[in-house]
Amino acid sequence: MSEDVHDTAGGQGVVARIDGLIAGPTAKAVVLGMMVFVLLLLMVPIVFTFVASFAESAAGALPSGFFTLDNWRTVLGLGDYGVQTSVGPGLAFSAMLATGGMVLNIIIGVPIAYALTRYNFFARDWINAIAILPLVPGIILGVAFLRTYPENAGSALGLIVGYALLKSPYMVLTVQSSFQSMDLQQLEESSRSLGASWPRTFLTVIVPNAKDGIIAGSIICWTLAAAEFNFTYMVYARGPRPFSLFLFENISNAPYLQSAAAISVYFLIVVAAITVLQLVGNRGFSTSSDR
Amino acid sequence: MSSQTHETETFTAVATALIRPETEQERERRRIVVMCLPFFVLATFAAFIPLVVMARMSVSADQFENSGFSMEAWYTLATESVYLTVAWNTLWFATLATVASVIFGVGISHALEKYEFPFKGFVVSMISFPIALPGIVVAFMIIVLLGRQGLLTHTVAFFTGGSPLDIAVATTVFGLFCGYVYSLIPRSTMVLRGTYTEVNTDAEEAARALGAGSLRTFYHVTLPEIRPGVVAAFILTFRSALAIFGTVLVLQSLNVATLRIDREIAVGFNSQIAGAIGLIYFAFILAFTFVSLRFTETDVVEI
Repeated sequence: MSEDVHDTAGGQGVVARIDGLIAGPTAKAVVLGMMVFVLLLLMVPIVFTFVASFAESAAGALPSGFFTLDNWRTVLGLGDYGVQTSVGPGLAFSAMLATGGMVLNIIIGVPIAYALTRYNFFARDWINAIAILPLVPGIILGVAFLRTYPENAGSALGLIVGYALLKSPYMVLTVQSSFQSMDLQQLEESSRSLGASWPRTFLTVIVPNAKDGIIAGSIICWTLAAAEFNFTYMVYARGPRPFSLFLFENISNAPYLQSAAAISVYFLIVVAAITVLQLVGNRGFSTSSDR
Repeated sequence: MSSQTHETETFTAVATALIRPETEQERERRRIVVMCLPFFVLATFAAFIPLVVMARMSVSADQFENSGFSMEAWYTLATESVYLTVAWNTLWFATLATVASVIFGVGISHALEKYEFPFKGFVVSMISFPIALPGIVVAFMIIVLLGRQGLLTHTVAFFTGGSPLDIAVATTVFGLFCGYVYSLIPRSTMVLRGTYTEVNTDAEEAARALGAGSLRTFYHVTLPEIRPGVVAAFILTFRSALAIFGTVLVLQSLNVATLRIDREIAVGFNSQIAGAIGLIYFAFILAFTFVSLRFTETDVVEI
């Protein structure tokens, strides 16, 4: 009885009253409408940018003069403006850095993800929080790197180490999600009872079973590192220019359609990444598997 | 004295057990340490040491290297009102964007979990797409929608007959808000989606059978069940919102902490002030995370 009184008093009474006015189909329409609105907000500029990168002129309300590859030629360094605007060297350099960061992430991420999933130990929750939440934002890490490693902050090594730290939570979470769906204790015990040592069990039984999670984590880490901007922007001083700085230069200085083409290069990379993620069971850039 | 000797002995015993374990329990402990070690080695060199050096930097007398001692940067931060404005801007803006993103996240996860419609997997992938986009690209997306040549700008100009130059809002605070929400909705949705799949549909059906409508069922049955997910989404989205930099750098409409740090470095290399802001920021995030994690279970926290 007292719950009924509570229900009609205060905020919850309002819920009950509005509830009477909303029929089931209305609620469905509101929620689906919300989703469609967000989907349009997110997708329209991406699709538009990609389409505009094939236009000749951006003078009118809508880009016009389809279809031309001029913007892409410029961005890919095949145009008349020479090599300095080309995406090639920066993308190759960033791909190398992202690969380095990804390898480091596999080395540090897989073991700690296993320890955190399989065992219960002192301060486990705290260590878990440190491993799965980004410790420092890129720009602050950049400032700290500038003073800590004055010679190396913006070097290839500095960038790889920075990327590995910044993206490590994605690897730990994705691999953890894979481990959580496995019966680790049983796998471990079966393997050991058949005579395998513990390191051998880990490397030849546990790790191969978490293959999909490791692949998904690697793809997410690689893609995010390949276009990492905040940290890169802060520590970069000289030498080959990473891809994200090329993007920044295009966004802030280049003609509209050329920026569109430069950004579209990255869109293609993301689409490729999402496609592979689907194949290993992750829907998009989510750290949890849908299987 | 004797307790210290005792502690030393315990420490030696623990260390010996780690290096040369004799029981299975000791072996398991060694495994845990070995497995966590690589991560902590990286965290030490890439985060802990740099953060300590940054703390030292904030009290350095010299702006180009850590030497001498001066509290001037901290004094400036405490006395100049611009820094209070920066802190206030950072907090209210991130909070507002987070609340909006979590509300949208709940709606989208609800739609994805409760209703049937075609291409669901594709929709999920598309909603997650912006997670991969760096802030500068998000800023460009906002320019595409709301800039002087923007799609929405031109649409509104077409219907109202106004000038696109007056209607463009990409470089206003509202445009920046859209940029924040653009990168945050996907993050909050992905966190909430995980919790939504675990909602007990029996209880919802029972509520409906007893005569509750959609809103009442949601408020009294679904919401309490997804509460841990909502808290987790709020924590993660708020942290992401505070860390946004690229979007602000391009759109430039609000002086938030990350932009201020960049300005301090870019104009005059005020490394001490940049270090001090960075340190406050880090301490705040750390405190916020550990206080707010008390309100939810750690396993629902995912990015």
